[in-house]
Order: sequence, then C-alpha cells, then structure tokens
Amino acid sequence: MRISLTPRAALAALLAVPVIVLWPQWWMLLVLAVVWAAVVLADALAAADPRRIRVRREAPTQVRLGGTVGGRLLLTNPTGRRARLEVRDAWNPTAGLDDQHARLEVPSEERRAITQHFTPTRRGEHRSREVLVSSLGPLGLARRSARADAPGRMLALHPFGARRHLPSRVQRLRELEGLAAIHQRGQGTEFDSLRDFVDGDDVRSIDWRATARRRSVVVRTWRPERDRHVLIVVDTSRTSAGRLGEATRLDAQFDAALLLTALAGQAGDRVDLLCVDRIPHVSVLGSTRTKVLHDMVTATAAVEPALVETDWELAASTIAERTRRGSLVVLLTPIEAAAVHSGLLPVAARLARDHPLVVASVADPALEELAAGRGDLEAVYRAAAAERARGERTGVARALERVGAHVVDAPPDRAPQDLADAYLALKAAGRL
Amino acid sequence: MSTATRTAPRTIGSEGPAPRPGATRPGATRGEATERRRPWLIIAVALAMAAALLISVARGAYRDGPLEPDAPSAGGSKAVVQVLGDLGVAVETRRHTADAADALREGGTVLVTDPRMLNAEQIIALDEARDEGDGRLVLVQPDFVVLSYITTGIFPSGALRSGAEVPAGPGCDDLAHGARILEVPDAEDALRGPATLYTTSGSASSCFTADGGALVAEQDGVLVLGSADLLTNDGVRLADNSALVLNALSGASDADGRKGTAAASGTGTEAEVLTWYVPSSTDPMGTSSQTLLGYLPGWAGPLAAWLLLVAAIALLALGRRPGPVVVEPLPVTVRPQEMVLGRARLMQRAEQRDAAAASLRAATATRLADRLGLRHESSLDGLLAALAPHVSADGTRLRALLGPSPVSTDQDLVRLAHDLDSLEKEIDR
Repeated sequence: MRISLTPRAALAALLAVPVIVLWPQWWMLLVLAVVWAAVVLADALAAADPRRIRVRREAPTQVRLGGTVGGRLLLTNPTGRRARLEVRDAWNPTAGLDDQHARLEVPSEERRAITQHFTPTRRGEHRSREVLVSSLGPLGLARRSARADAPGRMLALHPFGARRHLPSRVQRLRELEGLAAIHQRGQGTEFDSLRDFVDGDDVRSIDWRATARRRSVVVRTWRPERDRHVLIVVDTSRTSAGRLGEATRLDAQFDAALLLTALAGQAGDRVDLLCVDRIPHVSVLGSTRTKVLHDMVTATAAVEPALVETDWELAASTIAERTRRGSLVVLLTPIEAAAVHSGLLPVAARLARDHPLVVASVADPALEELAAGRGDLEAVYRAAAAERARGERTGVARALERVGAHVVDAPPDRAPQDLADAYLALKAAGRL
Repeated sequence: MSTATRTAPRTIGSEGPAPRPGATRPGATRGEATERRRPWLIIAVALAMAAALLISVARGAYRDGPLEPDAPSAGGSKAVVQVLGDLGVAVETRRHTADAADALREGGTVLVTDPRMLNAEQIIALDEARDEGDGRLVLVQPDFVVLSYITTGIFPSGALRSGAEVPAGPGCDDLAHGARILEVPDAEDALRGPATLYTTSGSASSCFTADGGALVAEQDGVLVLGSADLLTNDGVRLADNSALVLNALSGASDADGRKGTAAASGTGTEAEVLTWYVPSSTDPMGTSSQTLLGYLPGWAGPLAAWLLLVAAIALLALGRRPGPVVVEPLPVTVRPQEMVLGRARLMQRAEQRDAAAASLRAATATRLADRLGLRHESSLDGLLAALAPHVSADGTRLRALLGPSPVSTDQDLVRLAHDLDSLEKEIDR
C-alpha cells in the first residue's frame, strides 16, 4: 500500500500564505509544514482501506477483431466507511479499452460496477497487467493505493471478413452435389443412388443388373466423396509479415484458411490446420466437423509472423505424418522467387505426387499500382521493377503448376474466394 | 570507355524536360548527405579540441590582462615583476582592498594598477591604512577623485597629447630615480589612452614636466605615475622607463634611493616586499551598494521558500503515475515492396534503361498474347503478325516498340512506357 498526494494537497498548502505574510519567521514555516503534513496524513488514514475493497471482473473472453465488447469491473466495499475510489485497469494499449481510469464512490457495504468497452486493434491475446485501486481521503488531499487481484484475459479473434462469401460458395457446393448428371464416376466420388434413365445420360453409367430387375432402364449416380481429409498448411515465416494494405499477409492467409475450413465443413470434409516456419508450432488436428471452425479461430488468434525462413523439408515431413494418401493439401504461402527456390519447389513436387495440392498465395496489390506508374522516370523504373517481380511470380507459379500443384495467386480481397473456388473446382472435377 | 558512354546520355537527359532522379526526393538525398558528412564533422571537432589543448599547454597557465604580473603579453607586466624578483624584491599579487590595506599598515609598498576602478570606500580604506602605518602607495594614472581622497597637493592638469620623450627637469633629483628621459607611446598605442599630467602644490614635488604638467609626482609617500605604459612589457623598454619603475618599486625610498638598490643588490639583510594590487570586481568591498533583493519586504524570503515547497508538492502530486507502464510486444510487419523499390533504384542509378525496357516489353507482350489467345512461348514474329490487323501502327513501328531495340535516353524510356500503355488500350478497345 502506498500513500500519495493529490493536486488538492498543493492547493491546501497555499492556504498557509497569509500566515507567512503576517508572521514571516522561519520557524513558522516549519510549524506550517508540520501542520500540513499532519492534515494530509490524517486524511490519508481516514480513507477507506483499499486492500479490503473486493474487485471482481466480468470480462469478455473473446471478441472478433473490429468488434466491440462490453465488460464490467465490480467493486465491493465491505468497510464501514464510504469509499471514494480511483481505479486503473491496466490493459495493454491495443486491447482498446475506452478508459483505463475510473472514479466512483462506493457507500459502505455496497457494490458498484465500472462498465468497460473493448475495441481491440490487434489480433491475439490481451491481458490486464494490474488493477490499481486508490482510495481518496474525505478531504481529497491524499490517497492510499493497493493492487487488487483481478486478472483479466481476452482473446481478439481473427475478423474472418471472408465469411460473407460463404453462403454463395455453399450454394455452389449444394448445386454440385445435386447435379448428379454432371458427375462422372472417378477418383474421389462415391455411389449415391439409382434413378431412371433420362435422355442425355451417359450410357456407360447404366446399371445393367438393376435394369434387369426392373422394367425401366436405371442409371447409377455418383456424388463427391464425403469425409475426405483437408490439411491446410499456413506459412508464418518472414514473407508472411509483409504488410498488404491494412493488414499483414498472414491475416489474409488466415482469412482464406477459415473460409476454406467453413466450406469444407459444409461439404462434410475433415479439416486440419498446421502453422509452420522453423518449427511446426500451432496445429488444429482431429476436431469434429462442428467444432473445427471455432477451434481454428481460437488457435490462430495468437499466431504472429516470425522473422525466420520456412524449413520446407520439416514441413514436408510433418505433412507426411498428418495425412493419408489422397488428402487435399493446401499450402498458404507467398509465391516468391527466392523463397520458392530455397525449398518449396521440390517439396511441392513430392507432395503433388501423393496428394491433390493447392498452393495459395496472397499477392501484393501495391505491385499493380507500381506497375501502372508512368508519372516520371522514377515511376517508370519502378514500373519496370514491378513488372519484373510479377513476371518472376508468374514464372514460379508456372513452375509449381508444372510439378502438379494448383496455384491460386490473388490480392488479399480476392484470395479467400479464389481458394474456395479452387476447392470447389477440385470437387466438381471429382478429384476430391 | 564506360565514362564516355555514360556521360553522353546524362547531359542530354539534363537538358530535356524529364525530371532528374534527385529532384523528386530531396529529403532522401539530404539525409544521405548528413550521413556521409558526419565522420568529417567528428574529425574536425576532435582536431579543434586537440589544437585547443596544445595551445593552452604551450601558453602555460597565466592570467591575462592589463598590468597583470604574470602576463607575458604586450599589456602585461611580467618583465617588470621578473626583474624585480631578480633584484630581490618579493612581489605579492593582491586582488582585495583589505589585503592591500593590511600590507600598507605593515609598512610595505603597494602598487595600485588601476585606482580608477576603486570606489570611495576602498580609497578611504587604503588612505586610512597608509595613515596608520608608514607604507608607500604607488598609484598608476589616478584620476581627480582618487587623488582628492589620498593627497592634498597633487591634481591632474591635463593629458599629454601625443607620445613624446619627457626629460627629467632640473629640479628633481631623488624623484627621477636615476632616469633621465621617460618615453610614453602615442594615445592610440597606449594602454589607457594618453598619459595624464599632474600639477603639484604645497609639500608635493613633481618631475618630468611637459605641457605644463608633470608625469611623475610625489607627496608624503604617495607616488603618482602618469602613464600605465611605464609598467607594461612593451613600454618598460622605452628610454629610461625601466630605471624609474624598477628603482621606484624596489623599495628605494625617496630619501635615499641608493640605499634600497644596495640592499637589493647583495647584502640581503632584509627582503623587500612589493604588493602588486590589481583591483578586481570580485572584491567584497567593491560591491557594497544596496542590492535589488534588499528592497523586498521581510516576508518575501519565507514566502518564496513556502511557494517552492508548494511547487514541489504539486509536481509530486501531478507526476504520480497510477500503476505500471504497460509494455506490449507488437507483431512485426514488413513493407513487402522494399525489394521492388530497391531494384528500381538500382536500375535507375546504373541507368539500365534496356533492362527496364525489356521487362516492360515482356509484361506488355504477355498481356497482349493473353488477349489475342496466343501461347506465351510464341515468338515475337508470331505476336506481331497476330497484332497487325488490330492496331493502327505499322509493322516496323510495332517491332521497334516490342522488339529488343536499344533505348538511349531517359525520355525515350518514359515515352516507350506510354506507347506500350496506349498499345494495350488499343487492343482492349
């Protein structure tokens, strides 16, 4: 517990000025100083004991980034004195607490609440470092302060802005499942039902045995196989720390991963997630279909890019452990010439041999602006450099396609939809 | 060879309307310049400090000023003091009136280098001390006020207009101190303006008369010298100035000057002491007037102390920090275009116009091939053939635009970029 002064204590000391003018002796100064100190000390001791104030927190545990959530701090005064309190709830700045300081009066044997509003500006975990309760004396000259035991923790989740694209993709998925006619028998399909032959049906799909049992000609229909396995691998290395517009590249990658998870959940597939750079650090494995999206949002909330290079060999061995043959592997990593040649290409070639492989990259929209620059000589040189960078990306994308991967390269606002569309295209083609 | 090829386009570029690279970002250029200049600045400062240190060591520690006993400069008096020391006179430097008065009381000789700096209180203190003891007082160029306090028969009568040699008159034998001719410099070369001349009356005696006044006067153990230049390192060399000064200061009394020199020259029975009094502004007697704070009422001091205390309390109260400073590790973000911009700057600095043009052409060719449904790998000829029916430009122009023709100037590069843009727009239409 600490005793500290308020500005009012300094004002109170000014009251001694007439006394000094009337009796300008040096011993008078000493007397006045002692009197002032005694008054301030008495005021501090007359304050309600802040250590006995009970603090309880009704804090939100989760909030989507960009949203606002309310919480309460409940203060109970069990002492016999009326408590005039100053409370500071020391959250970290990006937790977006509207006001860390609050003043309130709690009468004896009563309880009051401080309402708080959080608008976090950073994804991840936010904490309240400390709650400091200061109790002012009846004259307001001094306060006694003590720390209260009220830990606060809140998780700011990924905003998942791409979820507005989910309904249209789910509808496409339903159409895909319903339109049996466009479905051929192939890898990644399973037997759905028998129905009567209509004109236009493929004669190869006539089920002769069933036709023999019935009067009419019967065809078999196929539908995309359900309960397939999708593994999303998110690269959290140096290249993901790039700032594209408002957010980092990693945020866009998570956005795409979440949309794909939601869509695959609707399609009845199991989805796992792996975040890798030098080490595979966060993973969501074996969640049930209903819980996987929630698990993934929670798990990715605190993941931030690290300034290291990705060890793709390590990632490949981890992927091999976690998948069966035929699982869809989605690599969310930027396509950059240097990064790709350092190890992604051979790993992608190996993965594409065993799995349908999608390499999804979030492109930098600023590159397009630079490439369109024609203002002066410097802008033209920048445009040339940007065109060369784009050319390199295209070359790398083509190299990846040549080894058997599907490449999705789109700016942040398009990347989630494009990845979802690539997944639907794989479904439609019966490859999944 | 390379310089020739590189300088030629640069001159063409600077004449044309295309902006120079430096013109667009002056801030960056200036920042680089300060970065580069800093080591020179450090070296210059270090050299200056070393030079100052060397100079101060070589100069030795002395206090410079007019008639300072340690100063070897033109206006100092180191020569006189050193010769006096050789003659056996111990010279003690004093800067406070009280010390000089004590020396006078004990019967010593006191030289006042600048009596005009003294205020009335200091002059009276010196005069009283001289009355109590039997010390001698040597005043250098005193003014009327000083003389009226100390003597009764010596008055300043005017100034010596120009520097001149003043011979000792016939009437002065002891007062001449063995000097025959004194010489003082011109007013503009002199330390304190023109030399002052004095007239005497009563028991006072004077010597070295010129223009109706005397350069040296004496009364009851008060010796008045009319010019400060008699004592300076420069002035003491002139004519017989040294004889007058050394004899007058080495304790030779007016009564028998020979005895003083004899004592100094070797018998060594008693070392003479000369007090060299330099009036200073730090003298406690020099500042005795009522200070500004003295006009304040009596309660001002306690009140100021209390207000100081109140201010300290206010600072303490306002400076209180409620709880800890919350630090937060923020995630790292990187500007992704750095590499592209760096490459653009490199190309521009190396004037790689052909490389820039090649990448612009390649990008346009790729996009055109997409529009026309060609394979990316198709040759330039194939592209040009497919392009020809859709655009207004003829084959040679298209070939110059998309083919690998060299780009010689900066304007050509900008123009090429614009032409490629308009070609693409034409296909889009």
